[in-house]
Amino acid sequence: MKTTPNLKSWSRREILRAGLAGMCAGGMPMVFSRAAAATADAANGNRILVVMELSGGNDGLNTLVPYTDDAYYRLRPHIGIKADKLRKIDDRFGFSPGMTGFQKLYKDGKMAVVHGCGYAQPSFSHFTSMAYWHTGAPNSGEEYGWVGRLADAIDPKLTPNFIINIDETQSLAVRAKDHVPVVFDDPNTFGRKGLYQTRPLLDHVGEPVEGNASQRYLTDIAKSAREASVLVKDAWTKYKTPVDYGIYGVDLPKVASLIAAGMPTRLYYVAYRHNAFDTHVAQQDQHQRLISYASDAVAGFMADLERIGRADDVVVMVFSEFGRRVPENTSLGTDHGTANHMYLIGKNVRGGHYGTPSDLTRLDEGDNLVYTTDFRRVYASVIEGWLKYGQSDKLFSQRFETFPVFA
Amino acid sequence: MASRFPSLPVKKMTNNPRLLILSLLLAASPAMAATAGDLGPIAPEEWNAAHAAHLLERAGFGGTPEEVAAYAAMTPEAAVKRLVYMKDIPNDLPAFDESDIHEPGLDPFPVSRPAATDLAKQTGESMGVKVKPTGNRRLQPVANKFFYWLRASRLETHRMSYWWANRMLVTQRPLEEKMALFWHGHFANSEEKIRDYRKLYLQLQLFEAKGTGNFRDLMISVAQDPAMLAYLDAAVNVKGAPNENFAREIMELFTMGVGNYTETDIREAARAFTGWNYKDLTFVVNPDRHDDSVKHVLGQSGQYDGVQVIDVILAQPVTADYLATKIYKYFVRQEVSPELRKQLGNVLRDNNYEIAPLLQTIFLSQDFYSAQSTGTRIKPPVELVVSTYRKMGLKEVPGVPDFNDVTEALGQKLFYPPTVAGWANGKSWITPGLLLTRGNFGYDILFPDINFLPPDRNPGGDYQIAQVNDKLAQGFDVTSATKPDAKELTSMSMQADRDEEFNTRLASYRGWQQALQKVKPIPRDTAQLDLTAMVKQSGARTTQEAVDYLISRFLSVPVDAQTRDGIVGFLTKELGTSDLTGSETFAEEPLRLALHLILSLPEYQLG
Repeated sequence: MKTTPNLKSWSRREILRAGLAGMCAGGMPMVFSRAAAATADAANGNRILVVMELSGGNDGLNTLVPYTDDAYYRLRPHIGIKADKLRKIDDRFGFSPGMTGFQKLYKDGKMAVVHGCGYAQPSFSHFTSMAYWHTGAPNSGEEYGWVGRLADAIDPKLTPNFIINIDETQSLAVRAKDHVPVVFDDPNTFGRKGLYQTRPLLDHVGEPVEGNASQRYLTDIAKSAREASVLVKDAWTKYKTPVDYGIYGVDLPKVASLIAAGMPTRLYYVAYRHNAFDTHVAQQDQHQRLISYASDAVAGFMADLERIGRADDVVVMVFSEFGRRVPENTSLGTDHGTANHMYLIGKNVRGGHYGTPSDLTRLDEGDNLVYTTDFRRVYASVIEGWLKYGQSDKLFSQRFETFPVFA
Repeated sequence: MASRFPSLPVKKMTNNPRLLILSLLLAASPAMAATAGDLGPIAPEEWNAAHAAHLLERAGFGGTPEEVAAYAAMTPEAAVKRLVYMKDIPNDLPAFDESDIHEPGLDPFPVSRPAATDLAKQTGESMGVKVKPTGNRRLQPVANKFFYWLRASRLETHRMSYWWANRMLVTQRPLEEKMALFWHGHFANSEEKIRDYRKLYLQLQLFEAKGTGNFRDLMISVAQDPAMLAYLDAAVNVKGAPNENFAREIMELFTMGVGNYTETDIREAARAFTGWNYKDLTFVVNPDRHDDSVKHVLGQSGQYDGVQVIDVILAQPVTADYLATKIYKYFVRQEVSPELRKQLGNVLRDNNYEIAPLLQTIFLSQDFYSAQSTGTRIKPPVELVVSTYRKMGLKEVPGVPDFNDVTEALGQKLFYPPTVAGWANGKSWITPGLLLTRGNFGYDILFPDINFLPPDRNPGGDYQIAQVNDKLAQGFDVTSATKPDAKELTSMSMQADRDEEFNTRLASYRGWQQALQKVKPIPRDTAQLDLTAMVKQSGARTTQEAVDYLISRFLSVPVDAQTRDGIVGFLTKELGTSDLTGSETFAEEPLRLALHLILSLPEYQLG
C-alpha cells in the first residue's frame, strides 16, 4: 500500500469520522488509509489523474525542440532556439532553456512524451478546438466533458468530491451527467458571501423532509458545497510545504493540499488560464517564461507528492488545444497551428517517446504539422492503463489503440 | 379552501386576502389529481393560483403576485392561450439602440489577425484601412482596425444581451422571449466565433418572430441565416470540397439526434448545401459552387438543394419526436418515458410542425401540473437572474452587478453558448461552487459592491492593456511599452524600438481604445429596490407575515418550518421587534438580510 497519509494533516475529527482510532502499543498509528477503509475498491482505487491544460495553444516546437532538424531552424530563423541553449534530453530533442524541471523528470524516466497529437479537420479557433479536447469529440456536439463522462463510468456510486476543478468557471471537460464536480478558484473565498449575523443561517443546510427529487438533489449539493468548502479551506489552511513550485504554481499546490488532506478525489483539473499561451508576437521571452513556469510547477508538484507520500498514486497529463504554425510570423511570434506534444508525468509512467513526431518537411497547405496521433489515444491510454477502466471505447464511441505508458 | 392543503408550511393562515393567495402558491401540488404522463387537459375547476404561478414560471420568467392573481382569475385555457398565441398583445418595447460601430470596409471581416495583415500586405489595404507608404509599423493601422472590431462587436454584444434581458423583464409576451431563449440554446451560435453582433441581432429577431410558428419555416430561415452560415463554416462548403459541419449539426443537433442517420447521409446532405453562403447580412446562393447532382439522403434520392434536404429530414418520424421531446424537457422536466416521447412527437407531427399547438398541449396538460412537474425545474442562470429581478418588481435590469459577468459566472452567457450543442440543462447547471455563486448573486444585488468597475469601460482585466496604456503615456517607445512585464527571467536585453510591420499588443490596446470611444456605455444603476414598501404594501404587520410573504413571493416550493422559523427569528432580532408597524424607517437593511437568506436557500433554484 503506497498510501501513507500524513497523520498531521488529518484532523482528529476526520480520523474519528473514518473510524480509524486504533493505535499500536508503541503509539504509532496503525497502517491505515482511506483505501484501507474501503477495501471494496480495487487496488487501483487510489490512483489519481491530474489534467493540466495550457490554454491559448502552446508552441510545442519551442517547448520540446527537434534540434537536429534543419527544417525547424529554416522555418524559424528568428525564434528558433539554438541547440546550445536547450535542455537536451537525447540526441534529437531538447527542452526550452528554462525547463529544468521537465528535463529532469524525463531523465529520471518519469515522463512520457507523446508526439504528433491532434485530430482530423483541425479547428484554429481556441474556443472550438478547446471544446473538442474538452469533450473528446472533435467536429461533433457532445454535452458532457470527457473527464465528467469518465467519472460517471468509473464511479457509479457517485463519491462526493470525486472531481475537483480549480478555476473561475467550470471547465466543459469536467461537466458530467451524474457527478457533481467541485469547482472553486480561491480556497479562501470558496464560500458564501454574507454578513456576520446571517452566517449561522446561511451555513445551515436543512434536511429536506418531504421535498421533490430536485429539492433533495439541491439540498445534497448544498451540503456538499458546504462540506467541500470546509474541506478545501481546511486543507489549504493546514497545508505548508517547503517545496518550491516556482513563480506560478498553476494551482498544483492547491491540488497537493487536497491530496495531502486525504480527499477522495480521483480526477483533478487545473489550467494555465486566460489563453496565456497565445503567443502571436515577440514570443521568445514570453513563451520561455510561461513554459518554464509550467515546468517548475509540475516538477514542484511531483517533489511535493514525494514528501506527502503519494507520488506513486498520481499521474499528471499536460495538453494544449493546439500547437502553433511551424513557420514563425513577421512579429517574432507564431499563429495558431495543429499537432502538438502531450506529456504524461508520474513515478509509474514508463518514460520515453511515444507516437511519431510530425514531419516538419511535410506540412499541410496551411504550413501546419500533420497530426500522427489522435489525442484520444492518449486519453484512452490513461483511462485504461492508469485508471484501469477497460472500456474507454464507451466514452469515445470508438476504440482507440492505447500506448503502453504505464508500468 | 385552506383545508385542501394540509401540508402547508405556513402554519397559520392569515385573513389578509393578498397573503392568502400567495400562501396558496406554496401548496405545490401533492394534493392535486393531475397525472404525470397524461397530455390531456386539466379540468377548469382544478385551476388555481398555484397553477397560474407555475405556468408563469415555466412559460415566462416568473410572475409577480399581481400577475399571478390576474392569470388565476382566467380559465386555464384562456391563460395558456394568452401566453402561447401572444402576437396580438401590444408589446411596445424599444428596438436595440445600436452604437454606430460598423463601417462598410469591415465586411468581409478577415478570419484572423494574420489574414488581415496578410491581405493588407498583398493588396495595400484591409478592412478599409490603407497601408502607410513608409516608416516603421506600416501595417499598424490595419492591425488596430482588426482589434477595434473584435472589441467593439464584443462590447456591443454585451449591450445587446442587456437589451434582451430587459425585454425578458418587462415584456407582455413572456413566452415569445422564452422560446427565443430556447432556440438560442438549440441553434447555438456564439459571438466568440461569429465576431459580428449584427448577425446575432438578426438571428435573435428571427427567433422572436418565428419561434412559436412553423418549425419548417424556422429551420429553413436558420439554415439561411448569416450567423448560422458563418458559425458552421458555410463559406467553405463548396462543390467538389464539401464541408460536413453544417449538414452534421442539422441532423445531429437541430432535427434528429445521434444514431438516426449515417455518415453517408451527412456527406450527401452536405453536397445539397454547397454554394449556400452569406454576403455581409444577406443569404446568397452561389450557383457555380452548388453541386446539383443527385444525392442519396436517408433512403431518398434526388437533385436536392438545402431546402429539399430539410424536407427529407422533416419527413423522418424521429424528427418530430426529437424536437417535441427537447421542447418538453426544456419547459417541463428531464425525464421522458418512451410513450410520452411518442405522444409529444405525434402532437407536433399532427400539427404539421406548428410549434404553438404543441406548447398549448404541454401547458394545459395534466402532466404539466402533476407533482412530478411542479417546482422541480432547476432554473437556467439567465432565468434565475431575470426572474429574481421580476420578483423584486424591478423595471430595469440593474447595471450593478453586471448582467453578463453574473450570467457568465453562473454558466450561461447570452450569445456565448459554450459549444454548438448549446447549454446542457437540468442538473448540470449546479455544482457546489455554482450553488454558492447563485446565492452570492443575491447578495450582490441586495448589497451592491462599491468597488464595482464597469467591465465595458474598464479593460483592466484584459492582460496588459492597462500597462501599455500607462507606459505609452509616460513616453516609452512601443517596443518597451508592450514588452511583457519582466520582473522575472529574461534572456534578451532591452532593445530600442524595433523595426516591424506592426505590433500586435499595441494593436490590441488601440483596438480597445477606439472601441471604448464608439460603443455606448451600459447604464450602471443599482437595483431600484424598496423592500420596506413592498412588504408594507403586502399588508404584513409582523415579522412572521413579512417572511411568509417574501417566501411566497420568491419561492416556488415550500420550505421546512425550521428554516422559515429561523428566518422569522432572525428578522425579529435584527428589527428588535416582531411588530412591523413603526419600524419602517429602519427596516430596509434587516429585510434585505432576510431576503438574502431566502435567495440563498437551495430551493430558490427551483421553478
